[in-house]
Amino acid sequence: MEKGKISALQLAMMLYPAIIATAILLVPAITAHHAKQDMWLSPIWAAVTGVITVFIAVRLFNYYPQKTAIEYSEQIAGKWLGKFIGFVFLFFYLHVSGIIVREYGEFIIGNFFIRTPLLFIMGSMILVCAFAVRGGVEVVARLSEVAVPVVIVVIALFIIMLIPDMEIKNMFPIFEHGIMPSLKGAIIPQSWFSECFLIAFLLPYVANQKDGQKYALFSVAAICSTLVVVNFTVLFVLGNITARFVYPVMSAVRYISIADFLEHLEAFVMAIWVAGAFLKIAVFYYVLVLSTAQWLRLSDYRLIVFPIGFLILLFGNWSAPNVMELSHFLGTSTPFYLNTVQTVIPLLLLLGAKWRHRGKKA
Amino acid sequence: MKRAIICFVVSISCFLLSGCWDRTELNDLALVTGIGIDQKGKEIELTAQLVVPKKLGAGASMGGNNSGSSGGATIVRSGTGKTLADAIAHLQEKLPRRLFWGHVKVIVFGEKAAKAGIRAHMDFLSRNPQMRLRSNVVVSDKTAKSVLELLPPIEQSSAEVLRELSNSQILMNITLKDVLQMLSGETGAAALPMVTLLPIEKEKTPLETIAYIDRTAIFKGDRMIGSIGDKLTRGALWIRNEIEQANITVSLKGAEGKITSTIIRANTKLIPSYKNGRWKMTIDITSRDDVLLNATNLSLYNEKHIHQLEKALAQATIERVNATLKKVQKEMHADIFGFADVIHRKYPKQWNRIKNRWDDIFPEIEVKVKANVVVQRPGMNTTPQGIPEDEVEK
Repeated sequence: MEKGKISALQLAMMLYPAIIATAILLVPAITAHHAKQDMWLSPIWAAVTGVITVFIAVRLFNYYPQKTAIEYSEQIAGKWLGKFIGFVFLFFYLHVSGIIVREYGEFIIGNFFIRTPLLFIMGSMILVCAFAVRGGVEVVARLSEVAVPVVIVVIALFIIMLIPDMEIKNMFPIFEHGIMPSLKGAIIPQSWFSECFLIAFLLPYVANQKDGQKYALFSVAAICSTLVVVNFTVLFVLGNITARFVYPVMSAVRYISIADFLEHLEAFVMAIWVAGAFLKIAVFYYVLVLSTAQWLRLSDYRLIVFPIGFLILLFGNWSAPNVMELSHFLGTSTPFYLNTVQTVIPLLLLLGAKWRHRGKKA
Repeated sequence: MKRAIICFVVSISCFLLSGCWDRTELNDLALVTGIGIDQKGKEIELTAQLVVPKKLGAGASMGGNNSGSSGGATIVRSGTGKTLADAIAHLQEKLPRRLFWGHVKVIVFGEKAAKAGIRAHMDFLSRNPQMRLRSNVVVSDKTAKSVLELLPPIEQSSAEVLRELSNSQILMNITLKDVLQMLSGETGAAALPMVTLLPIEKEKTPLETIAYIDRTAIFKGDRMIGSIGDKLTRGALWIRNEIEQANITVSLKGAEGKITSTIIRANTKLIPSYKNGRWKMTIDITSRDDVLLNATNLSLYNEKHIHQLEKALAQATIERVNATLKKVQKEMHADIFGFADVIHRKYPKQWNRIKNRWDDIFPEIEVKVKANVVVQRPGMNTTPQGIPEDEVEK
């Protein structure tokens, strides 16, 4: 079905924007709300989930080489239960893709195109992603390879330009209320890290599969350090009012003013946000389309790219009535929702696989 | 057939490529450079200072033609309403162009508005996606409108003047972000620069002047409770570790005339301590100075005189800081120095117990000021200039 091959490095490059793109915009405010001045610690705790998820996905893949999560869940849990688990994955990725598209749309509209219809912003993004997805896994991987370095460089530039406005004293006192606030602040970001389970759908197409785990973990480390640095930046610049902004990174970048002319740089935030969101949506979209095709045992997944794109658009539209509720959903339900599907179910699958392979050497 | 379909699709897509349907051309926008907020009875009056593009840059080509009459690169328009957003709607009625807030350099509060409370305005200003957290915030001793309608002789707008003055950091330099941080911080107090009009020179029109920062407005909660003059403000800057430029003039014992020195680098540390249920704060100031002027007959190449000078400078700094503390801490009870934050950082556990009583505790804190001044260089002169060699006290 998918003939393309990607390298393990490309896998890491796909994983990075798939998590970072939305995690640096809405999540810092949620983290700051719980963790206050310890917010920089939270991504480190959160990364634990990423590491666990990667291990689960790789173990499962080792039991069932060349198979994706949809395929081996049938082998592990039997036909009917397996189909059901597959359906849970499909529905989950459909819903989550919708939410991501919505987050993207809300950010663009809330900050820049205040009067543009939401459906238009979301629709145009899905259309562009659909072309990438039709191109196959190689196209998405190469796009990541091109865009991710740019995104990293721009984020780094922002941080350097904010150095004059940073006040290190904002991070003290560390552990004012013990370790708990930073752990609480980690609950939301860790559910983002569970999205590492995406590799379970991509590993079969990696050429150098032995390196898959290494590069996926490398990607988790890169995501974690990016989040730590970004959280440090907003904390140093905005201090006690970080949690008061919907998009703290955006507010911090708008604060940049160097020599009275290097200012008004928010267009670059939008640029990296569009690039990051594009990759994120493309990766989720691709996984969704591929899994649906496998679940339905279609011979080609290209047929269903556009219909599923339309469904994503609908889910984006239906996922929340307004930004407040979207933010509330992300800030309360995601740990249960994302972790159940992307960490707990895979863990159960892994236990099932262990049981089926008992006595045999894996 | 296939060709016809392709032609049809291509020609249809032309409609999609026609550009931005909701574009806003620059000449449909009214660029706001400054916002003024005044309280008028129960209503809010919002004054926007707008750029007049025709006048911008015209001065150079027209040479002296414009002189005499005002430069007039900006105009002001006002609107009133129950809230700031309401006032903006009324202001928009009076403008042919759409207001654009992305270039707001300064936000001016009239004294009455500042005394009535600024929190609601702050929320609006930070919620609006066009507005910038970098805008400077000042309080005017008259109305905000009277500041914004000025037509300054050198700069293009009075908003630009205020921004440059703020950035020079001779007195307070406060941005919208700083105000938000102070209002939501632990101290329960805020300090904003306060501006007043420079008296008009003879033969100039009444608007041809600038407003300059000469005081500091002290806020408790979100309401202004009073102000302190420039000398006391400098004391506050010392405590807040925000001093950038300062000249200190002292006279030495046993010598006529004065010596002025300028600060090259200064640093202030606030060190809280807690003993037997009493809070103490040590303000530890270190500064490195150069001599700017020596009107005495003392040679500053003499180690002894330098030490004497350093002591006098330190003493002058301590006195300045103490005067500020007396007024702001003991009389106004407003923690604009960030003592609360310092205590919170160093003693987080104790802080949680006292934070509700901070307003009562703050005035009672015993403050000790220490200053350590090092004079580094004498400038270009060795011994004092302009007096005979034998009158110099080596």
